[in-house]
Amino acid sequence: MPDDALGRPFGVPVRREPVLPNGVLGMLIFVATEIMFFSGLISAFVIGKSNAIGGWPPPGQPRLPIEETALNTAALLASGVALYFANRSFKNDLPSTKRFLGLAIGLGGFFVLFQGAEWVALIGEGLTVTSSQLGGFFYLLVGAHALHVVAGFIILLYTYRRLSQHDLDRFTFWPAQIFWYFVVGVWPVLYWQVYL
Amino acid sequence: MIRVGRACAALAALVVVTIANSALACPSCASPLEENRQAFVDTTIFLTVVPLMLIGGMIWWIRRRIRAMEDTPEIPVPESLLRDAGPFSKRG
Repeated sequence: MPDDALGRPFGVPVRREPVLPNGVLGMLIFVATEIMFFSGLISAFVIGKSNAIGGWPPPGQPRLPIEETALNTAALLASGVALYFANRSFKNDLPSTKRFLGLAIGLGGFFVLFQGAEWVALIGEGLTVTSSQLGGFFYLLVGAHALHVVAGFIILLYTYRRLSQHDLDRFTFWPAQIFWYFVVGVWPVLYWQVYL
Repeated sequence: MIRVGRACAALAALVVVTIANSALACPSCASPLEENRQAFVDTTIFLTVVPLMLIGGMIWWIRRRIRAMEDTPEIPVPESLLRDAGPFSKRG
């Protein structure tokens, strides 16, 4: 059988690693749309804030808990770092991967619970969706993000379960990571715009 | 007759263009607050740049991966798969 120009037997098919796994490409496109969604919300908030008569935050409304949320922000960022280390040890160190992934999930869960407690306190102080422009924007922006955190939390739990069953491949793990990094990355922007 | 119709249409279009006032579609142009006008400009730039960066970044990254993969060796398909390669397989 004659060889081709690269010295391979003629007619023998070869294959390569995919340039971009389908799951990763799909998640990247999804995250791109999500970035535009949050960009639109943030833009609306910035314009609403700049148009406020009587100053911002509106008078008579409770102040947002900046320091407590800074702690929560640190927890979410730390969960992103833990996920990064989980990925680094994914190839050859299963116990470390499980430990770091568990830590990322735990910190994500802490973020959600802390934010839930914060919302209960703010509603008790009179900040509701209809109380002012601040309340409307706050629950819209932070609520949209919270929904994404919960979704990401569920995805990470799923990957942890697959990892525990020795059934997690990188083509499943990567999209989960991309989504969580997005959730982690968008939060400091929201914190800066909404809280500070 | 058709020429007359076209000429009338062109004349009508010219009249409309000449007498119509310009419409300000820019919402920030009417705002009395300087901060608000600036916010409109900033967010317009932001929302213009973000999608371009997203698409550009993705294309750049995929191109970089393709270039990196050009250096990696191709993996021969295992025998077990070749058996099911179908009627066009040279190994049939």
